[in-house]
Amino acid sequence: MNLVIRKLIAKELYVNRWFVAGGTFSGAASVLIAMLGKTAFNIGALTWLTTIIATGVMLALYGIMNERKEHALQFVLSLPLSIAGYVRAKMFGLAASFLIMWSVSCAAALLLVFAHDGVPDGLAPYLVLLCVFMLANFAVVLCGALQALTEALTSAVIIVTNMGVSIFMFTVGPLPGISAHMWGPAPVWNSTFWTVLGCELAVLVIAFALPFFLAARRRDFV
Amino acid sequence: MNDKHLSMHRVRKNYRFFTLDDVSLELEPGQIMGFVGPNGAGKSTTLRLAMGMVAPDAGEIRVLGCAMPADQAAAKRDVGFVSAEMRLLPHATIEWHMNFMKAIYPEWDGGYAATLVKRFNLRPEQNARSLSLGEHVKASLLLALARRPRLLILDEPTTGLDPVARHDVLSELLDVLRDERRSILFSSHNTVDVERISDSITFIDRGRIVDSNNKEDFLDRWRRIHLQLPPGSSLPELPNIVGRVTDGQFVTLTTNRFSEGLRALIGPHVREVQRMTLEEIFVANVMHHREARGQ
Repeated sequence: MNLVIRKLIAKELYVNRWFVAGGTFSGAASVLIAMLGKTAFNIGALTWLTTIIATGVMLALYGIMNERKEHALQFVLSLPLSIAGYVRAKMFGLAASFLIMWSVSCAAALLLVFAHDGVPDGLAPYLVLLCVFMLANFAVVLCGALQALTEALTSAVIIVTNMGVSIFMFTVGPLPGISAHMWGPAPVWNSTFWTVLGCELAVLVIAFALPFFLAARRRDFV
Repeated sequence: MNDKHLSMHRVRKNYRFFTLDDVSLELEPGQIMGFVGPNGAGKSTTLRLAMGMVAPDAGEIRVLGCAMPADQAAAKRDVGFVSAEMRLLPHATIEWHMNFMKAIYPEWDGGYAATLVKRFNLRPEQNARSLSLGEHVKASLLLALARRPRLLILDEPTTGLDPVARHDVLSELLDVLRDERRSILFSSHNTVDVERISDSITFIDRGRIVDSNNKEDFLDRWRRIHLQLPPGSSLPELPNIVGRVTDGQFVTLTTNRFSEGLRALIGPHVREVQRMTLEEIFVANVMHHREARGQ
């Protein structure tokens, strides 16, 4: 990875620092709220979920769409790098920004599950699946935003991926292999869990790799 | 070996409603080329092609010896690009941008950057989002100039600037040319700016290059000839006449190749031969080519 790409990744972390800091704080605070009781748990869970999704969307919107809309993309493309280099820097820079917030929020939520008596440990596999789903979801948003040339298309990708979170909760939650152990005293890492996780990881890898083959080969970038 | 700073050969780029066609350009070291055309003529597209931001559908582009867009990372190491449309990163200060450029370009000249900050009256601590258009252009120019690139590609850098800011920017560009290893390709629809700093000029209209020559040649060759013809007489067939306006017995001819031979051909009816400004030459040239193409 050359100097320009490394500097651009650092630039992403710098320009998105307030999103990352705000998202990380909100994600951790949501977990703390969730510890305060049953109603607080629901509020905290909702805020936690919203924080992770919203931070991902904001990073993609501000990091890619706004850079294009506000004509700062020309400044970046005037630097000594290729289109593929730009895509690489953008993917790694925004992914690093998201991962900081995501890893702290997810670690805090897992800590809550394992350390707090009011929350059953059996919830852990579902939580892990939800966390990885949101990471894959972010990768899809990022891939879509890099590939889409218009704001409307990017918005469509965001709407579809947001709907995906509800679809995930309504389809994965009721799966017998998941729902049967969700409220149990110990986590059960069964074949259902591994199958869903495998699907999520496949989506994650494809969504993260796709821009390197599609967006990076685009002939026109402004 | 290709020692030209920029060469474009028969470049074509198709869009849905616009085609840049058969564009050929050459920029030598030490040269400052004004790239003039009306709005929508294809100036920005040409410069973006030169920067590798868009790829041509046909033709060949080389910048500092590197094929574009394939080797753009290597070429852009020594190219500064500023566009009136371009914005800096909105959430970062000018100082952050300067440090960013310093980290990327080992040639970054901190002393020169500090001089330009003062000359352009910029405040390094100011956030890019709060910069006016003029400040934005000046800050972008500072970032491009302080790394002392061999080639500067400037897309309408003086558009929207007040006269004082324009003067500052143009003076700085003239300073750049004191180093004869450096060159500038400078697009504008403001012929006054182009006339002031360019030594060669290329006119583009509706996606095609209509003329390209050095500035002095343009100014020497183009003339407006005012005649008064006696009643009943007519002009002989004249060469190199690109425009003709008749008002009764008064005729105004525009020529793109004036010579004393042409004056002699017209005869004693010539009342006045006027030099033309670059703007007049540009308009006459464009109109002539549009007529020739039946547009």
